[in-house]
Amino acid sequence: MSSLSSARLKRSIALHLFLTPLALIWLFPLWMMVVFSTMPDNGIFSPGIELLPHGNFVDNFNNLQRDTDFVGAIFISVCVAVTYTVLSVLLTSMAGWALARYQFFGKSAVVAIILGTITLPYAVVLIPQFIMVARDFQLANTWVALIVPPLFNSLGVLFMRQSFSMMPDDLFDAARVEGVKEWRIFVFVALPLARPMLAALCIILFLASWNNYLWPLLINSQPGSMTAPVALGTLIGLTKVSWGGIMAGAVMLTVPMLIVFVLLQRHFIAGIAAGAVK
Amino acid sequence: MRYRNATAYRFLTPYLLIFAIFWVWPIISSFMISFQATRTVPWRFAPGFNWGRLIGDPAFFNALKNTLLILVIQVPVMIALAMVMAVLLNSPLLKARGLYRFAFFAPVVVGEVAYSAVFRLMFSLDFGIVNKLLNSIGLPKIDWFSNVTPAMALIMIAVTWRWAGYNAIILLAGMQSIPEDVYEAATLDRVSKLKQFFYITLPLLKPVIVFCAVLSIIGTMQLFTEPFLITERGGPGGGTETLGLLLYRQGFRSLNFGYASAVAYTMAALAIAITLVQLWLTREPK
Amino acid sequence: MATVTLKNVVKRFGSFEVVHGANIDIRDGEFIVFVGPSGCGKSTLLRMIAGLEDISGGEIAIGGKVVNDVEPADRGIAMVFQSYALYPHMSVEQNLSFGLRMTGNPKADTERRVKRAAEILRISELMDRRPKKLSGGQRQRVAIGRAIVREPQVFLFDEPLSNLDAELRVQMRVEISRLHKELGTTMIYVTHDQTEAMTLADRIVVLRGGHVEQIGKPLDLYDNPDNQFVAGFVGSPKMNFIKARVVGHEARGVVVELAGEEKTRIVQPLADAAPETGSKVIVGVRPEHFGLAGEGDADLPVAIDVVEHLGGTSFLYARTANGEDVVIQRDATRVPDTPGITVSIRKSYLFDEKGLRLR
Repeated sequence: MSSLSSARLKRSIALHLFLTPLALIWLFPLWMMVVFSTMPDNGIFSPGIELLPHGNFVDNFNNLQRDTDFVGAIFISVCVAVTYTVLSVLLTSMAGWALARYQFFGKSAVVAIILGTITLPYAVVLIPQFIMVARDFQLANTWVALIVPPLFNSLGVLFMRQSFSMMPDDLFDAARVEGVKEWRIFVFVALPLARPMLAALCIILFLASWNNYLWPLLINSQPGSMTAPVALGTLIGLTKVSWGGIMAGAVMLTVPMLIVFVLLQRHFIAGIAAGAVK
Repeated sequence: MRYRNATAYRFLTPYLLIFAIFWVWPIISSFMISFQATRTVPWRFAPGFNWGRLIGDPAFFNALKNTLLILVIQVPVMIALAMVMAVLLNSPLLKARGLYRFAFFAPVVVGEVAYSAVFRLMFSLDFGIVNKLLNSIGLPKIDWFSNVTPAMALIMIAVTWRWAGYNAIILLAGMQSIPEDVYEAATLDRVSKLKQFFYITLPLLKPVIVFCAVLSIIGTMQLFTEPFLITERGGPGGGTETLGLLLYRQGFRSLNFGYASAVAYTMAALAIAITLVQLWLTREPK
Repeated sequence: MATVTLKNVVKRFGSFEVVHGANIDIRDGEFIVFVGPSGCGKSTLLRMIAGLEDISGGEIAIGGKVVNDVEPADRGIAMVFQSYALYPHMSVEQNLSFGLRMTGNPKADTERRVKRAAEILRISELMDRRPKKLSGGQRQRVAIGRAIVREPQVFLFDEPLSNLDAELRVQMRVEISRLHKELGTTMIYVTHDQTEAMTLADRIVVLRGGHVEQIGKPLDLYDNPDNQFVAGFVGSPKMNFIKARVVGHEARGVVVELAGEEKTRIVQPLADAAPETGSKVIVGVRPEHFGLAGEGDADLPVAIDVVEHLGGTSFLYARTANGEDVVIQRDATRVPDTPGITVSIRKSYLFDEKGLRLR
């Protein structure tokens, strides 16, 4: 091919002319988040149009830290998200392995139940979960309360089941014939081979925990036990609050994830797309 | 494959245990709570108490109406937009694909609280950038937060911004799993690109589209954070109160667990109905 | 080393039976090949011997001990898979030693066994490579090496050569033969390729649709097939089958007439009761059993469609007057370029309508 034909060129220009404004609109809120986070409050609430960042981020952050202990909340969020991710990856990959690789009594029932919960609103379990954790187990405002109840997730298990069942049977049979125990086959053969899928799963799970709002809002409402989104959420709507500070917090919650997204885009997309393409 | 009951369940037990404690029991328990009067100590069994209140409660019907309204308008618009994004991102003519992908997919990683805060600022009446921009091109300011219609529109805009890229990712993956040679054959048969989209892509993508639609519907049905944070607890005056918000208000502000459970089960019933429609839509042709 | 005995072995998937009572006696140190078209149950049978599939009925014994409920690892077998099944994230050495390491075999012994296997298969210089960096033949060697390391009583091969190109396949075939001589271990080998079966086996088990059709030495199967299926499956190109009819009985045997060829009559001596006059039969003729006109039992005029010259020999693709396809093998020097010739049938087999051999 030497050059684009003129028809193709026209189509290409039209495509970019349509897509570029759309992309800019889509980036606009993120851009404004960054801009706001660097503007003093009196700048945010001034009549002029400001579209470029200023230099006030540190002041804004200090205001935020004055309004709520955001650093402490970030610390909780990180610890909870990491623990949750590790435990959940373990649980879901074990379950996915069993569903992909073993024939057992009750298998179709287990699969049907997991599929069924995908479309069941979380709202149905929310109240009893809250009563159980807060009243019966007395675990409100603890890390356990943040980590354990969300451990059940169905898309992750289906994703891992799919990943494991795409691996060749022979590989595991070979190990079996050699007398390798099943859990060792899982740890030393299956998991290393599933590394790309595990990466995708880790990212999705970490993100889910990092951004989780409703459950942490309900169960860990005491100052000092709140996650970062909850701590930030308590400020929204207060009258005497620094909006520059809120935006600084929003940036701190968002930008690290955006960087991870850029670096690991492939895994990210694989993790999200896995839900539908079966 | 050999039957390996013991091994299989050893791998499944931790997962199923969490499932039993934090899902199975709550599902049952929630159902039972919905038949109890929970504002008295101790709770007492009163079958008609919550459900009777539900069918006569204007707040419930308001929340139901708002939720359905958002569902009916926002979900189709978002899926269509996601479809457009996916098709265009998939075009071989596109340059700098990575940049466009970043623009549309980035909202996927943004937390609800963070983006709710930004949208609140962007759309505020006097100092919001959106109204300033509207003004600068000669359009009147819109009071996004004090009137019901703009407030609803704002919720829909926010949710669409957050989730369109997510659906585009799923649709794009679905498109890329359609074998290339189908299109090559069609091109050789002189079928136009537009017709290829309608007669090849859409039918082959139907299960994925339905999947996206159902996930979006279930998600939107439980909409909570946006009306909670952006339009300030479902304001103006309950104008954007959703079922999710009603549940929160009843369950966790008024501590009326019985009534909130009844609301939750209404949502579940809706979800089950929608799932059945999905199964019917994607059934294998005979 | 050990014998392997299959007694009435049945395999069902749900209510669907895929192996219908197989009886096979494999002697100590024997090289036995299960052969048959895809779906005949040969791989299922092998996987049942390995313990990778449950046995739905009957008994499998290895070394005289019934192993129905014994785990694969404790059956004294090692298996080589069609896909090689090498662990992609491990080096060749780790691949060879994985099983022994995982089952707590003493380190020194593991090293000794790995070294020996590497020497036997001449892969010592590949030990640090990952499978991705190996050629198909090298991967195959590593896969076999992994089996040798186990020092098994029985080797199981599941279509080990089908992923190799033609040249390598011949080479590896010889290699496996050599290995069998060197180790003297019982080997069970599954393939759909009758050439592999003929060249490797001490005895062949021909399977079709979950039934054992015939068990025997390669040349016995070739010379003396029990039925039309075996006759057609063993030998390349395939045996020709021509419809025929019994027209009478003589002292020498039964007289059959090829369909549409009134002049082509063959007299076949039969030990068993001959079919009645008028019943339909099938005459089987191997391509190499056609001769020049007048040389054999009966003459058959055919129309030639295509001639393939292979150098030493030629194959004539021809049709009888009745329209049945036949393949005729001839010396290259004696191929006529006329559109029609008459050949003679020097040797033939007779099958009844159900395909059972009449003899």
